[in-house]
Amino acid sequence: MKKWQVLALALLMAVPATGFAQIGKLKLDSKVDSMHKAGVGPVIFPHDSHEKLYKCNDCHPKIFKEKRGESGISMKLNMDGKFCGSPNCHNSPKAFPLFECTKCHTNVGAAK
Amino acid sequence: MKASSNKFMKGALLLSLSVFFGVAVTVNGADSATAAKGKTNAAPAKSEKGAAPVLDPNDPASLIYLDTSGKPAGIGDPNKPASQSYKAGQGWHPQALSAAGLPKDKYGLIDWAKLVRENIVKPKPSLDPNDEEMPPLKMDILIPAKGDFVNDVIYPHEMHTYWLKCEVCHPAIFVPAKGSNNMSMAEITKGNWCGRCHGKVAFPLTDCNKCHSSPKKAASK
Ligand code: HEC
Ligand code: HEC
Ligand code: HEC
Repeated sequence: MKKWQVLALALLMAVPATGFAQIGKLKLDSKVDSMHKAGVGPVIFPHDSHEKLYKCNDCHPKIFKEKRGESGISMKLNMDGKFCGSPNCHNSPKAFPLFECTKCHTNVGAAK
Repeated sequence: MKASSNKFMKGALLLSLSVFFGVAVTVNGADSATAAKGKTNAAPAKSEKGAAPVLDPNDPASLIYLDTSGKPAGIGDPNKPASQSYKAGQGWHPQALSAAGLPKDKYGLIDWAKLVRENIVKPKPSLDPNDEEMPPLKMDILIPAKGDFVNDVIYPHEMHTYWLKCEVCHPAIFVPAKGSNNMSMAEITKGNWCGRCHGKVAFPLTDCNKCHSSPKKAASK
Protein backbone atom coordinates (compact mmCIF):
# COMPACT_ATOMS: atom_id res chain seq x y z
CA MET A 1 0.00 0.00 0.00
CA LYS A 2 2.65 2.49 1.03
CA LYS A 3 4.76 1.74 -1.99
CA TRP A 4 1.81 2.36 -4.27
CA GLN A 5 1.17 5.76 -2.69
CA VAL A 6 4.75 6.85 -3.12
CA LEU A 7 4.61 5.89 -6.74
CA ALA A 8 1.44 7.89 -7.27
CA LEU A 9 3.01 10.91 -5.59
CA ALA A 10 6.10 10.65 -7.76
CA LEU A 11 3.90 10.49 -10.84
CA LEU A 12 1.92 13.54 -9.74
CA MET A 13 5.08 15.55 -9.28
CA ALA A 14 6.45 14.41 -12.61
CA VAL A 15 3.68 16.24 -14.45
CA PRO A 16 4.73 19.82 -13.61
CA ALA A 17 8.33 18.73 -14.05
CA THR A 18 7.78 18.08 -17.74
CA GLY A 19 7.16 21.80 -18.03
CA PHE A 20 4.82 23.03 -20.71
CA ALA A 21 2.71 19.97 -21.23
CA GLN A 22 -1.00 19.99 -20.40
CA ILE A 23 -1.80 23.55 -21.32
CA GLY A 24 -5.22 22.69 -22.60
CA LYS A 25 -7.08 25.17 -24.76
CA LEU A 26 -5.96 28.75 -25.28
CA LYS A 27 -8.26 31.61 -26.14
CA LEU A 28 -6.56 33.96 -28.61
CA ASP A 29 -8.36 37.28 -28.55
CA SER A 30 -5.76 40.07 -28.73
CA LYS A 31 -7.28 41.26 -32.03
CA VAL A 32 -10.86 40.70 -31.02
CA ASP A 33 -12.08 44.10 -32.26
CA SER A 34 -10.91 43.35 -35.76
CA MET A 35 -12.37 39.87 -35.51
CA HIS A 36 -15.76 41.32 -34.64
CA LYS A 37 -15.60 43.60 -37.66
CA ALA A 38 -14.95 40.53 -39.78
CA GLY A 39 -17.93 38.76 -38.23
CA VAL A 40 -16.03 36.14 -36.26
CA GLY A 41 -15.25 35.57 -32.60
CA PRO A 42 -11.97 34.75 -30.80
CA VAL A 43 -9.88 31.74 -31.70
CA ILE A 44 -9.73 28.73 -29.45
CA PHE A 45 -6.36 27.08 -29.95
CA PRO A 46 -6.30 23.47 -28.76
CA HIS A 47 -2.78 23.30 -27.35
CA ASP A 48 -3.54 19.84 -26.00
CA SER A 49 -4.28 18.21 -29.33
CA HIS A 50 -1.18 19.75 -30.88
CA GLU A 51 0.91 18.42 -27.97
CA LYS A 52 -0.10 14.93 -28.95
CA LEU A 53 1.16 15.41 -32.49
CA TYR A 54 4.30 17.49 -32.07
CA LYS A 55 7.23 18.14 -29.79
CA CYS A 56 7.45 21.54 -28.05
CA ASN A 57 10.43 22.61 -30.10
CA ASP A 58 8.63 21.93 -33.36
CA CYS A 59 6.82 25.21 -32.63
CA HIS A 60 8.73 27.00 -29.86
CA PRO A 61 10.44 29.34 -30.27
CA LYS A 62 10.74 29.12 -34.06
CA ILE A 63 7.09 29.69 -34.96
CA PHE A 64 5.50 30.93 -31.73
CA LYS A 65 6.98 32.74 -28.73
CA GLU A 66 6.29 31.01 -25.45
CA LYS A 67 4.20 33.84 -24.09
CA ARG A 68 0.63 34.51 -24.90
CA GLY A 69 -0.03 37.52 -27.14
CA GLU A 70 3.66 38.07 -27.87
CA SER A 71 3.99 36.41 -31.25
CA GLY A 72 1.88 38.91 -33.17
CA ILE A 73 -0.24 36.35 -34.99
CA SER A 74 -2.63 37.82 -37.54
CA MET A 75 -4.75 36.42 -40.34
CA LYS A 76 -2.70 38.33 -42.87
CA LEU A 77 0.53 36.73 -41.62
CA ASN A 78 -1.10 33.30 -41.55
CA MET A 79 -2.02 33.86 -45.18
CA ASP A 80 1.57 34.84 -45.92
CA GLY A 81 2.81 31.50 -44.65
CA LYS A 82 3.68 32.40 -41.08
CA PHE A 83 2.36 31.10 -37.73
CA CYS A 84 -0.65 28.79 -38.20
CA GLY A 85 -0.14 29.05 -41.95
CA SER A 86 3.46 27.83 -41.83
CA PRO A 87 4.35 25.71 -44.83
CA ASN A 88 4.04 22.38 -43.00
CA CYS A 89 0.93 23.33 -41.09
CA HIS A 90 -2.40 24.85 -42.14
CA ASN A 91 -1.03 25.69 -45.56
CA SER A 92 -0.26 22.14 -46.53
CA PRO A 93 -2.09 18.88 -47.07
CA LYS A 94 -1.07 17.85 -43.53
CA ALA A 95 -3.77 19.92 -41.84
CA PHE A 96 -7.08 21.55 -42.70
CA PRO A 97 -6.73 24.70 -44.83
CA LEU A 98 -6.91 28.28 -43.60
CA PHE A 99 -10.25 28.99 -45.16
CA GLU A 100 -12.12 26.70 -42.79
CA CYS A 101 -12.93 29.67 -40.55
CA THR A 102 -15.15 27.72 -38.17
CA LYS A 103 -12.45 25.26 -37.14
CA CYS A 104 -10.55 28.00 -35.26
CA HIS A 105 -12.90 30.95 -34.79
CA THR A 106 -15.92 30.90 -32.56
CA ASN A 107 -19.16 32.64 -33.51
CA VAL A 108 -18.49 32.67 -37.23
CA GLY A 109 -21.14 34.67 -39.04
CA ALA A 110 -22.64 36.06 -35.85
CA ALA A 111 -22.08 39.80 -36.26
CA LYS A 112 -22.31 41.43 -39.67
CA MET B 1 13.99 13.58 -56.95
CA LYS B 2 10.31 14.09 -57.65
CA ALA B 3 10.95 16.00 -60.85
CA SER B 4 13.36 13.43 -62.19
CA SER B 5 11.05 10.52 -61.43
CA ASN B 6 8.29 12.47 -63.14
CA LYS B 7 10.44 12.89 -66.19
CA PHE B 8 11.20 9.23 -66.12
CA MET B 9 7.49 8.41 -65.95
CA LYS B 10 6.77 10.64 -68.90
CA GLY B 11 9.57 9.07 -70.85
CA ALA B 12 8.30 5.62 -70.01
CA LEU B 13 4.79 6.58 -71.01
CA LEU B 14 5.96 7.97 -74.32
CA LEU B 15 8.04 4.93 -75.00
CA SER B 16 5.24 2.50 -74.26
CA LEU B 17 2.89 4.60 -76.34
CA SER B 18 5.33 4.71 -79.21
CA VAL B 19 5.46 0.92 -79.21
CA PHE B 20 1.67 0.91 -79.28
CA PHE B 21 1.67 3.48 -82.03
CA GLY B 22 4.17 1.52 -84.04
CA VAL B 23 1.83 -1.45 -83.95
CA ALA B 24 -1.09 0.69 -85.02
CA VAL B 25 0.92 1.97 -87.96
CA THR B 26 1.74 -1.51 -89.15
CA VAL B 27 -1.91 -2.48 -88.97
CA ASN B 28 -3.44 0.59 -90.54
CA GLY B 29 -0.80 1.96 -92.83
CA ALA B 30 -1.47 1.15 -96.46
CA ASP B 31 1.95 2.15 -97.68
CA SER B 32 3.90 1.69 -94.51
CA ALA B 33 4.43 -2.03 -94.04
CA THR B 34 8.05 -1.65 -95.01
CA ALA B 35 8.45 1.81 -93.55
CA ALA B 36 7.26 0.63 -90.15
CA LYS B 37 9.69 -2.25 -90.21
CA GLY B 38 12.47 0.24 -90.69
CA LYS B 39 11.10 2.22 -87.74
CA THR B 40 11.84 -0.42 -85.15
CA ASN B 41 15.55 0.22 -85.55
CA ALA B 42 15.69 3.58 -83.82
CA ALA B 43 16.76 6.88 -85.36
CA PRO B 44 15.25 6.77 -88.81
CA ALA B 45 16.30 9.30 -91.40
CA LYS B 46 14.30 12.48 -91.96
CA SER B 47 10.65 11.64 -92.44
CA GLU B 48 9.82 11.30 -96.08
CA LYS B 49 6.38 11.83 -97.46
CA GLY B 50 3.95 9.42 -95.81
CA ALA B 51 6.48 7.95 -93.39
CA ALA B 52 5.71 7.96 -89.67
CA PRO B 53 7.26 11.01 -87.96
CA VAL B 54 10.23 10.74 -85.65
CA LEU B 55 9.33 10.29 -81.99
CA ASP B 56 11.51 11.96 -79.44
CA PRO B 57 10.44 11.61 -75.79
CA ASN B 58 11.90 15.02 -74.95
CA ASP B 59 10.09 16.84 -77.68
CA PRO B 60 6.55 17.99 -76.85
CA ALA B 61 5.69 17.76 -80.54
CA SER B 62 6.13 14.00 -80.20
CA LEU B 63 3.22 13.67 -77.78
CA ILE B 64 0.79 11.01 -78.77
CA TYR B 65 -2.86 11.79 -78.42
CA LEU B 66 -5.33 9.02 -77.86
CA ASP B 67 -8.98 9.12 -78.78
CA THR B 68 -11.75 8.42 -76.27
CA SER B 69 -11.50 4.69 -76.89
CA GLY B 70 -7.80 4.79 -76.06
CA LYS B 71 -6.56 4.39 -79.62
CA PRO B 72 -3.65 6.52 -80.80
CA ALA B 73 -5.14 9.40 -82.70
CA GLY B 74 -2.28 11.60 -83.72
CA ILE B 75 0.88 13.20 -82.53
CA GLY B 76 2.21 16.68 -82.04
CA ASP B 77 -0.35 19.34 -82.64
CA PRO B 78 -3.44 18.57 -80.54
CA ASN B 79 -5.42 21.00 -82.67
CA LYS B 80 -5.25 18.68 -85.61
CA PRO B 81 -6.36 15.36 -84.27
CA ALA B 82 -6.07 12.55 -86.74
CA SER B 83 -8.25 9.56 -87.36
CA GLN B 84 -10.98 8.52 -84.98
CA SER B 85 -10.71 11.26 -82.40
CA TYR B 86 -11.71 13.70 -85.10
CA LYS B 87 -14.94 11.82 -85.58
CA ALA B 88 -15.45 11.22 -81.88
CA GLY B 89 -14.99 14.93 -81.28
CA GLN B 90 -11.80 15.60 -79.34
CA GLY B 91 -11.02 13.01 -76.81
CA TRP B 92 -7.45 13.11 -75.80
CA HIS B 93 -5.57 11.15 -73.30
CA PRO B 94 -5.67 12.84 -69.87
CA GLN B 95 -1.94 12.34 -69.56
CA ALA B 96 -1.41 14.21 -72.79
CA LEU B 97 -2.70 17.29 -70.96
CA SER B 98 -0.31 17.00 -68.05
CA ALA B 99 2.58 16.21 -70.37
CA ALA B 100 1.87 19.21 -72.58
CA GLY B 101 3.94 21.49 -70.34
CA LEU B 102 1.14 23.87 -69.40
CA PRO B 103 2.02 26.29 -66.58
CA LYS B 104 1.06 25.10 -63.12
CA ASP B 105 0.32 26.99 -59.94
CA LYS B 106 1.95 26.09 -56.63
CA TYR B 107 -0.61 23.36 -56.08
CA GLY B 108 0.21 21.64 -59.35
CA LEU B 109 -3.08 22.73 -60.90
CA ILE B 110 -3.09 24.23 -64.36
CA ASP B 111 -2.76 28.00 -64.10
CA TRP B 112 -5.40 29.10 -66.58
CA ALA B 113 -4.84 32.79 -65.89
CA LYS B 114 -1.16 32.51 -66.74
CA LEU B 115 -2.11 30.63 -69.89
CA VAL B 116 -4.14 33.64 -70.95
CA ARG B 117 -1.52 36.21 -69.96
CA GLU B 118 1.16 34.39 -71.92
CA ASN B 119 -1.09 33.79 -74.93
CA ILE B 120 -0.70 30.02 -74.76
CA VAL B 121 -4.32 29.32 -75.64
CA LYS B 122 -6.64 30.85 -78.21
CA PRO B 123 -10.12 29.57 -77.46
CA LYS B 124 -12.93 30.19 -79.92
CA PRO B 125 -15.27 32.94 -78.70
CA SER B 126 -18.31 30.77 -79.22
CA LEU B 127 -19.55 27.59 -80.83
CA ASP B 128 -22.05 29.75 -82.68
CA PRO B 129 -20.15 31.20 -85.68
CA ASN B 130 -22.46 34.24 -85.70
CA ASP B 131 -21.58 35.21 -82.14
CA GLU B 132 -19.18 38.07 -81.87
CA GLU B 133 -16.24 38.08 -79.52
CA MET B 134 -16.54 40.68 -76.80
CA PRO B 135 -13.20 42.06 -75.68
CA PRO B 136 -12.48 41.52 -71.98
CA LEU B 137 -13.59 44.33 -69.70
CA LYS B 138 -10.60 46.04 -68.13
CA MET B 139 -12.01 47.00 -64.77
CA ASP B 140 -10.55 46.08 -61.42
CA ILE B 141 -12.81 46.42 -58.41
CA LEU B 142 -11.44 46.87 -54.93
CA ILE B 143 -13.46 44.90 -52.41
CA PRO B 144 -12.44 46.02 -48.93
CA ALA B 145 -12.18 43.04 -46.61
CA LYS B 146 -13.77 43.47 -43.21
CA GLY B 147 -11.31 43.32 -40.37
CA ASP B 148 -8.01 45.13 -39.93
CA PHE B 149 -5.57 42.29 -40.41
CA VAL B 150 -6.31 41.00 -43.87
CA ASN B 151 -5.43 42.44 -47.26
CA ASP B 152 -8.22 43.86 -49.38
CA VAL B 153 -9.44 41.97 -52.41
CA ILE B 154 -8.95 43.07 -55.99
CA TYR B 155 -11.52 41.59 -58.30
CA PRO B 156 -10.26 41.68 -61.92
CA HIS B 157 -13.03 41.86 -64.53
CA GLU B 158 -10.49 41.33 -67.26
CA MET B 159 -9.52 37.74 -66.47
CA HIS B 160 -13.14 36.80 -65.78
CA THR B 161 -14.68 38.34 -68.88
CA TYR B 162 -12.03 36.63 -70.97
CA TRP B 163 -13.73 33.35 -70.03
CA LEU B 164 -17.22 34.39 -68.97
CA LYS B 165 -20.11 36.52 -70.15
CA CYS B 166 -21.44 39.31 -67.97
CA GLU B 167 -24.69 37.40 -67.50
CA VAL B 168 -22.89 34.55 -65.75
CA CYS B 169 -22.40 36.83 -62.75
CA HIS B 170 -24.72 39.80 -63.17
CA PRO B 171 -27.18 40.05 -61.62
CA ALA B 172 -27.62 36.49 -60.34
CA ILE B 173 -24.42 36.21 -58.30
CA PHE B 174 -23.34 39.84 -57.92
CA VAL B 175 -25.35 43.05 -58.11
CA PRO B 176 -23.29 45.11 -60.55
CA ALA B 177 -22.65 48.00 -58.21
CA LYS B 178 -19.55 48.39 -56.14
CA GLY B 179 -20.03 47.61 -52.46
CA SER B 180 -23.61 46.43 -52.70
CA ASN B 181 -22.86 42.75 -52.23
CA ASN B 182 -22.52 41.81 -48.61
CA MET B 183 -19.98 39.04 -49.00
CA SER B 184 -18.06 37.29 -46.27
CA MET B 185 -15.27 34.79 -46.34
CA ALA B 186 -17.35 32.32 -44.35
CA GLU B 187 -20.05 32.41 -47.02
CA ILE B 188 -17.47 32.19 -49.80
CA THR B 189 -16.10 28.99 -48.30
CA LYS B 190 -19.63 27.60 -48.27
CA GLY B 191 -19.79 28.04 -52.03
CA ASN B 192 -21.43 31.45 -52.35
CA TRP B 193 -20.13 34.56 -54.11
CA CYS B 194 -16.60 33.95 -55.42
CA GLY B 195 -16.87 30.43 -53.99
CA ARG B 196 -19.38 29.56 -56.69
CA CYS B 197 -16.39 28.99 -58.93
CA HIS B 198 -13.19 29.27 -56.91
CA GLY B 199 -12.34 25.95 -55.39
CA LYS B 200 -14.44 24.25 -58.07
CA VAL B 201 -13.58 25.36 -61.60
CA ALA B 202 -11.18 28.20 -60.86
CA PHE B 203 -8.11 28.39 -58.63
CA PRO B 204 -8.72 27.12 -55.09
CA LEU B 205 -9.55 29.20 -52.02
CA THR B 206 -6.34 28.07 -50.32
CA ASP B 207 -4.51 30.50 -52.59
CA CYS B 208 -5.57 33.41 -50.37
CA ASN B 209 -3.26 36.06 -51.69
CA LYS B 210 -4.33 35.76 -55.30
CA CYS B 211 -7.55 37.48 -54.22
CA HIS B 212 -6.29 39.31 -51.14
CA SER B 213 -3.72 41.23 -53.12
CA SER B 214 -4.14 44.84 -52.03
CA PRO B 215 -2.30 45.63 -48.80
CA LYS B 216 -4.21 47.45 -46.14
CA LYS B 217 -2.31 49.81 -43.86
CA ALA B 218 -3.09 47.92 -40.68
CA ALA B 219 -2.42 44.64 -42.40
CA SER B 220 1.27 45.37 -42.70
CA LYS B 221 1.60 45.37 -38.92
C1 HEC C 1 -11.65 33.88 -54.71
C2 HEC C 1 -11.15 34.98 -53.96
C3 HEC C 1 -10.75 34.79 -52.49
C4 HEC C 1 -9.85 33.90 -51.98
C5 HEC C 1 -9.04 32.85 -52.73
C6 HEC C 1 -9.78 34.15 -50.56
N1 HEC C 1 -10.63 35.16 -50.22
FE1 HEC C 1 -10.89 35.92 -48.34
N2 HEC C 1 -12.24 37.26 -49.08
C7 HEC C 1 -12.63 37.37 -50.42
C8 HEC C 1 -13.57 38.44 -50.56
C9 HEC C 1 -14.25 38.89 -51.85
C10 HEC C 1 -13.72 39.01 -49.26
C11 HEC C 1 -14.52 40.26 -48.92
C12 HEC C 1 -15.66 40.05 -48.06
C13 HEC C 1 -15.87 41.29 -47.25
O1 HEC C 1 -15.18 41.48 -46.25
O2 HEC C 1 -16.74 42.08 -47.65
C14 HEC C 1 -12.88 38.24 -48.35
C15 HEC C 1 -12.76 38.49 -46.99
C16 HEC C 1 -11.92 37.80 -46.14
C17 HEC C 1 -11.74 38.11 -44.74
C18 HEC C 1 -12.42 39.22 -43.98
C19 HEC C 1 -13.57 38.76 -43.20
C20 HEC C 1 -14.78 38.45 -43.97
O3 HEC C 1 -15.34 37.35 -43.78
O4 HEC C 1 -15.21 39.24 -44.81
C21 HEC C 1 -10.84 37.20 -44.25
C22 HEC C 1 -10.33 37.08 -42.82
C23 HEC C 1 -10.44 36.35 -45.35
N3 HEC C 1 -11.11 36.74 -46.48
C24 HEC C 1 -9.54 35.32 -45.24
C25 HEC C 1 -9.14 34.53 -46.30
C26 HEC C 1 -8.20 33.44 -46.18
C27 HEC C 1 -7.53 33.02 -44.89
C28 HEC C 1 -8.05 32.91 -47.43
C29 HEC C 1 -7.18 31.73 -47.86
C30 HEC C 1 -7.35 30.51 -47.14
C31 HEC C 1 -8.90 33.68 -48.32
N4 HEC C 1 -9.54 34.63 -47.61
C32 HEC C 1 -8.98 33.43 -49.68
C33 HEC C 1 -12.17 36.61 -51.47
C34 HEC C 1 -11.24 35.59 -51.38
C1 HEC D 1 -17.05 36.43 -62.48
C2 HEC D 1 -18.11 37.31 -62.22
C3 HEC D 1 -18.29 38.60 -63.01
C4 HEC D 1 -18.41 38.74 -64.38
C5 HEC D 1 -18.36 37.67 -65.45
C6 HEC D 1 -18.65 40.13 -64.61
N1 HEC D 1 -18.64 40.82 -63.42
FE1 HEC D 1 -19.04 42.80 -63.17
N2 HEC D 1 -18.71 42.62 -61.15
C7 HEC D 1 -18.37 41.45 -60.50
C8 HEC D 1 -18.08 41.74 -59.10
C9 HEC D 1 -17.64 40.73 -58.05
C10 HEC D 1 -18.29 43.13 -58.94
C11 HEC D 1 -18.12 43.94 -57.64
C12 HEC D 1 -19.36 43.98 -56.83
C13 HEC D 1 -19.13 44.58 -55.48
O1 HEC D 1 -18.19 45.38 -55.31
O2 HEC D 1 -19.91 44.28 -54.58
C14 HEC D 1 -18.71 43.66 -60.24
C15 HEC D 1 -19.04 44.97 -60.47
C16 HEC D 1 -19.45 45.46 -61.70
C17 HEC D 1 -19.90 46.80 -61.93
C18 HEC D 1 -20.02 47.91 -60.89
C19 HEC D 1 -18.79 48.76 -60.87
C20 HEC D 1 -18.89 49.90 -59.89
O3 HEC D 1 -17.89 50.64 -59.83
O4 HEC D 1 -19.90 50.03 -59.19
C21 HEC D 1 -20.21 46.90 -63.27
C22 HEC D 1 -20.72 48.13 -64.00
C23 HEC D 1 -19.95 45.61 -63.87
N3 HEC D 1 -19.50 44.75 -62.90
C24 HEC D 1 -20.11 45.31 -65.21
C25 HEC D 1 -19.79 44.11 -65.80
C26 HEC D 1 -19.84 43.86 -67.24
C27 HEC D 1 -20.24 44.88 -68.30
C28 HEC D 1 -19.47 42.56 -67.43
C29 HEC D 1 -19.28 41.80 -68.74
C30 HEC D 1 -18.37 42.37 -69.69
C31 HEC D 1 -19.20 42.01 -66.11
N4 HEC D 1 -19.40 42.98 -65.14
C32 HEC D 1 -18.83 40.68 -65.88
C33 HEC D 1 -18.30 40.19 -61.07
C34 HEC D 1 -18.42 39.91 -62.42
C1 HEC E 1 -18.48 32.45 -62.49
C2 HEC E 1 -17.27 31.93 -61.93
C3 HEC E 1 -16.38 32.84 -61.09
C4 HEC E 1 -16.73 33.67 -60.04
C5 HEC E 1 -18.10 33.86 -59.43
C6 HEC E 1 -15.52 34.30 -59.59
N1 HEC E 1 -14.45 33.87 -60.35
FE1 HEC E 1 -12.52 34.52 -60.20
N2 HEC E 1 -12.03 33.39 -61.79
C7 HEC E 1 -12.87 32.53 -62.48
C8 HEC E 1 -12.14 31.90 -63.56
C9 HEC E 1 -12.72 30.87 -64.54
C10 HEC E 1 -10.84 32.42 -63.53
C11 HEC E 1 -9.68 32.10 -64.46
C12 HEC E 1 -9.10 30.76 -64.17
C13 HEC E 1 -8.24 30.70 -62.94
O1 HEC E 1 -7.47 31.65 -62.66
O2 HEC E 1 -8.35 29.70 -62.20
C14 HEC E 1 -10.80 33.36 -62.41
C15 HEC E 1 -9.67 34.09 -62.06
C16 HEC E 1 -9.62 34.97 -60.99
C17 HEC E 1 -8.48 35.79 -60.65
C18 HEC E 1 -7.25 35.92 -61.50
C19 HEC E 1 -6.07 35.19 -61.06
C20 HEC E 1 -4.89 35.59 -61.89
O3 HEC E 1 -3.88 34.92 -61.72
O4 HEC E 1 -4.96 36.56 -62.69
C21 HEC E 1 -8.79 36.48 -59.50
C22 HEC E 1 -7.91 37.44 -58.74
C23 HEC E 1 -10.14 36.11 -59.14
N3 HEC E 1 -10.60 35.20 -60.05
C24 HEC E 1 -10.83 36.62 -58.06
C25 HEC E 1 -12.19 36.46 -57.86
C26 HEC E 1 -12.94 37.10 -56.80
C27 HEC E 1 -12.35 38.04 -55.76
C28 HEC E 1 -14.23 36.71 -56.95
C29 HEC E 1 -15.42 37.14 -56.10
C30 HEC E 1 -15.66 38.54 -55.95
C31 HEC E 1 -14.30 35.82 -58.09
N4 HEC E 1 -13.04 35.68 -58.62
C32 HEC E 1 -15.46 35.21 -58.55
C33 HEC E 1 -14.19 32.29 -62.21
C34 HEC E 1 -14.94 32.97 -61.27
